[in-house]
Amino acid sequence: MIDLKGKKIAVTGASSGIGREVAILVSKLGADLILTGRNQEALNETASQIATNCEVILCDLSVEEEIENFAKKIKSIDGLAHCAGIVQPFPIKFIKSKHIDTVLKINLYSGILLCSNLLRNKSFNNGSSLVFISSVSADHPYNGSALYSISKKGLEAFARSFSLEQSIQKMRANVVVPALVNTNIYEKTKAAYDEEFIKKIEAQYPLGIGEPIDVANMIAFLLSNNAQWITGTSIKMDGGLLLNNNT
Amino acid sequence: MTLEAFTKALEEEFEEITPGTISPDSNYREIEGWSSMHALIVIAFVDNHYDIILSAADLKQTSTIKDLYNIVQQRVG
Repeated sequence: MIDLKGKKIAVTGASSGIGREVAILVSKLGADLILTGRNQEALNETASQIATNCEVILCDLSVEEEIENFAKKIKSIDGLAHCAGIVQPFPIKFIKSKHIDTVLKINLYSGILLCSNLLRNKSFNNGSSLVFISSVSADHPYNGSALYSISKKGLEAFARSFSLEQSIQKMRANVVVPALVNTNIYEKTKAAYDEEFIKKIEAQYPLGIGEPIDVANMIAFLLSNNAQWITGTSIKMDGGLLLNNNT
Repeated sequence: MTLEAFTKALEEEFEEITPGTISPDSNYREIEGWSSMHALIVIAFVDNHYDIILSAADLKQTSTIKDLYNIVQQRVG
């Protein structure tokens, strides 16, 4: 039984998708919450589904100053679920520095800067658990995923470094590595392609594509004391997608 | 950029296509070998030339190169 009572968890990217699902689930499991994202209305919608104490703090994590201000408002937490991220497929031959900045600022730099600020401010309680979200595309790229894959692989490396450096305080950091999840981003992506192409993609998943709750369940476990011996790992969740892939 | 120049420049990005194969009225999804990669190229091409990010929904509304060009022109204002 996962029990998060007495813990305060910060969730980034809490306005939609996996972040929203994580927030709702960890609240059901007893945790108090700090929710952040860029869209006040969407964050309020998430907050309306939270049963425990919940603080909403608007923050654009692509802006360093906003990260610093956000971190200052967090006095004491036991966990961080860093779910903020963007998907912006872009073929390599068109990449300019602005595209690198856009993707890496939110997908990679924000996690690093948020953690460094929270450590400096001594906001993490001993034994805190951090969970980051990577993607199977970090190791198995698709067309246009270069920047996204780089950002996610970087996040995995960061989580391992964090878990090593902060192990003295019994802090843990882990990464969930999902394949395709049925979020609003996927819904928007689907709109660009014909039905046959989408069916072909989804057919590659023996267990079907994932739902946000599938990922949220793993994140809640990693945030809990049940996972107290697990740190520095990346846990793949792909509905069997890569079973036939030997790479 | 005129419609003709837009068509020619986009055609050049589809490297495997014989020059002169596509015209403003070509349905770009019917171009031989069309794939998801080509859709990404269209989005990236518009981004780099016009600083406009077309969404998946924008693409869905278009069939021909001319449709694409018209959407871009509307956004440019």
